[in-house]
Amino acid sequence: MQARTITLCYRKIVDAASTKLWDRLVFEDSYREFRMQAQLYNPDKKYRTFGELIQHSAGAEQLHFLVSAAAIGYLQQLNETMPDVVNNLGKHFLKFNQFQFEIINSDVHDKTKHAVAINFFSVPMVWHDSIGNYLLISDTTGTERQVLTHMLQVQPFLSIHSLTNSV
Amino acid sequence: MERKGFLKSLLFGAVTAPTVLTACDKSSTDITPTEGTTGSVTNPGTSSTACAVAPTETEGPFPTKSPTSYVRSDITDGRTGYKLTAKITIGNSNNGCAALAGAIVDIWHCDATGNYSEYGGSGMQSTNFQSVHFLRGRQVTDANGLVTFTAIFPGWYSGRSTHIHVHIYNANGTSLKVTQIAFPEGAGSAVALMNGYTKGM
Repeated sequence: MQARTITLCYRKIVDAASTKLWDRLVFEDSYREFRMQAQLYNPDKKYRTFGELIQHSAGAEQLHFLVSAAAIGYLQQLNETMPDVVNNLGKHFLKFNQFQFEIINSDVHDKTKHAVAINFFSVPMVWHDSIGNYLLISDTTGTERQVLTHMLQVQPFLSIHSLTNSV
Repeated sequence: MERKGFLKSLLFGAVTAPTVLTACDKSSTDITPTEGTTGSVTNPGTSSTACAVAPTETEGPFPTKSPTSYVRSDITDGRTGYKLTAKITIGNSNNGCAALAGAIVDIWHCDATGNYSEYGGSGMQSTNFQSVHFLRGRQVTDANGLVTFTAIFPGWYSGRSTHIHVHIYNANGTSLKVTQIAFPEGAGSAVALMNGYTKGM
């Protein structure tokens, strides 16, 4: 097939069931930040869930943005390397510099309801072919004679985010 | 093999192969992983039988506790304008306006062209994480109730006097006050002196 340039999106869910250290730090700190920032949209303490705030309190959708500050420091610690997603050799290799933080759910009185998602968007990669359940991809620095490739398994929460047909 | 990886593989092997450990038990008096009946050795020294399987993936650099990115004194983030130093003193009106130490103070304001950092796009677009929260900061008051921020003088947008938003929390993060600091307007005011701001007064 003709090589095409793609970006990948990995949607990482962090919730009360998350166990990795990085995930726990993001969970705890984003919950704390949510409880602080939610007060801005809940002056009478009428609401307790994120859903209620979104439905009833004007401007509460800003909470996605406002709470994201709790995750920025941890994103920087990743050194632009996407977490969790490994190639077929078991190594992290995907680079990212774009992200999108969302609150999935939360509750100011119940931490176990807190869940967020961080969408990581990869740098452009060249998609050369598909082999079985694997994408054969490389970064964009290869020469015409040889490129070093990765095999990446198609998996849940990992999607091709954009595609550019080469001319 | 790196020590970390070696330890991981050791732990992983230990908890996934309890039968092997039990077998070793019978022939050795040196190793006594006999807490409970599972033979786990991942939590020696406790009476709990609960244990955690060490992760098997390479986790890269281990994360460290990181404060929210609001925690900084210089909130400029490369925005251009007239440099502003804001010193805000928090007093407790229930205590004779005595200085309130340990209070968390958030401030945020618009840039020289009147834009806030959250209004750059739809707010839900992907974004680079380097300077996404420009002109937003958080400090904790010192013994004198004082916090200091470095920023640029805020711009102006339609219908509002030039202002800085302030949200004050106690040390536990409970909201105490949401307010704004507005700058005096008219001739001779700081606002009037802000020549060069494209949306100035």
